[in-house]
Amino acid sequence: MSHELRTPLNAILGYTELIADRIYGEVNEKVGEVVDRVQKSGRHLLGLINDVLDLSKIEAGQLELGINDYSVQDVVHSVISAVEPLAAGKGLRLTVDVAPGLPVVRGDERRIAQVLLNLVGNAIKFTEKGDIVVRATNSDSMLVISVADTGAGIPQADHQKIFEEFQQVDSSSTRAKGGTGLGLAIAKRIVEMHGGRIWLESEPGKGSTFFFSIPVRTERQESVS
Amino acid sequence: MSKRILAIEDQEDNRRILRDLLTARGYTLIEATTGEEGLAAAERERPDLILMDIQLPGLDGYEVTRRIKGNPELRHIPIIAVTSYALSGDEQKAAAAGCDGYVTKPFSPRQLLAKIEEYLG
Repeated sequence: MSHELRTPLNAILGYTELIADRIYGEVNEKVGEVVDRVQKSGRHLLGLINDVLDLSKIEAGQLELGINDYSVQDVVHSVISAVEPLAAGKGLRLTVDVAPGLPVVRGDERRIAQVLLNLVGNAIKFTEKGDIVVRATNSDSMLVISVADTGAGIPQADHQKIFEEFQQVDSSSTRAKGGTGLGLAIAKRIVEMHGGRIWLESEPGKGSTFFFSIPVRTERQESVS
Repeated sequence: MSKRILAIEDQEDNRRILRDLLTARGYTLIEATTGEEGLAAAERERPDLILMDIQLPGLDGYEVTRRIKGNPELRHIPIIAVTSYALSGDEQKAAAAGCDGYVTKPFSPRQLLAKIEEYLG
């Protein structure tokens, strides 16, 4: 199904980019503005399609994890370099604190990067000023990655709800901030498929910290798999 | 003389986007819509670069790439694989088949052009 949904949208995004890049000749200011809006909506729709497909795959039990040994430090750094321009654009300070000597973990590196990208992306999206801190630490047989922000914070009553599909604390922000309302639902499933957990600590006015844990590869696990 | 690019792509719109983009930038575009046609065009036209869709009817892009890279007269031609959105393992498969570069759909024409210019610039 993914091919059928994405192909026509790719055509829309492709042609509008060509128009925006003046490949078909000069474009007046008004048309240029509208083309930018078409592109923005098209990219939003593409994000939605990707998320809906991911979620439906997970629910049908068809999401296969590509299991490999990987370094959490590498994942953190690649995610940070992807979002640095976004943070800088809003004047936010982005800090990384990865404990030295973290053990190698086993799992789907690309999917764990997707989870972290979602959390850091949200933190940037919903923080107007201050800091975002990404930490990775080792505790017992778990590796815990956290993303702390100085945003508005989330009332206790909503802490569970935000991991459900199409739930944002303030639904008016869906349009204003973009996003699909599916990112955290997908992140939760991915983390749980790895045998980990995702949660948050937050209070209105005091920012939010999202955590997720993934089991460290141990001898016992190795002999089981 | 302008550089010649062979696009092996079964989707009409994708071909048209490539054609409009690349001819506007002074490249000559040769088009093929199936793997077999693409292979024949590579042998006949000796393009400067090949854009290879992976999901093709008949011979798929991996197989066409293997055959082109197995031909001593064609193996120097850079091949950029264009595949669907980040399916796990596609990049490794494309590299294993002999593709030199890799772009995922939806490709942004801007980014694709930058990739092409890495090889032809």
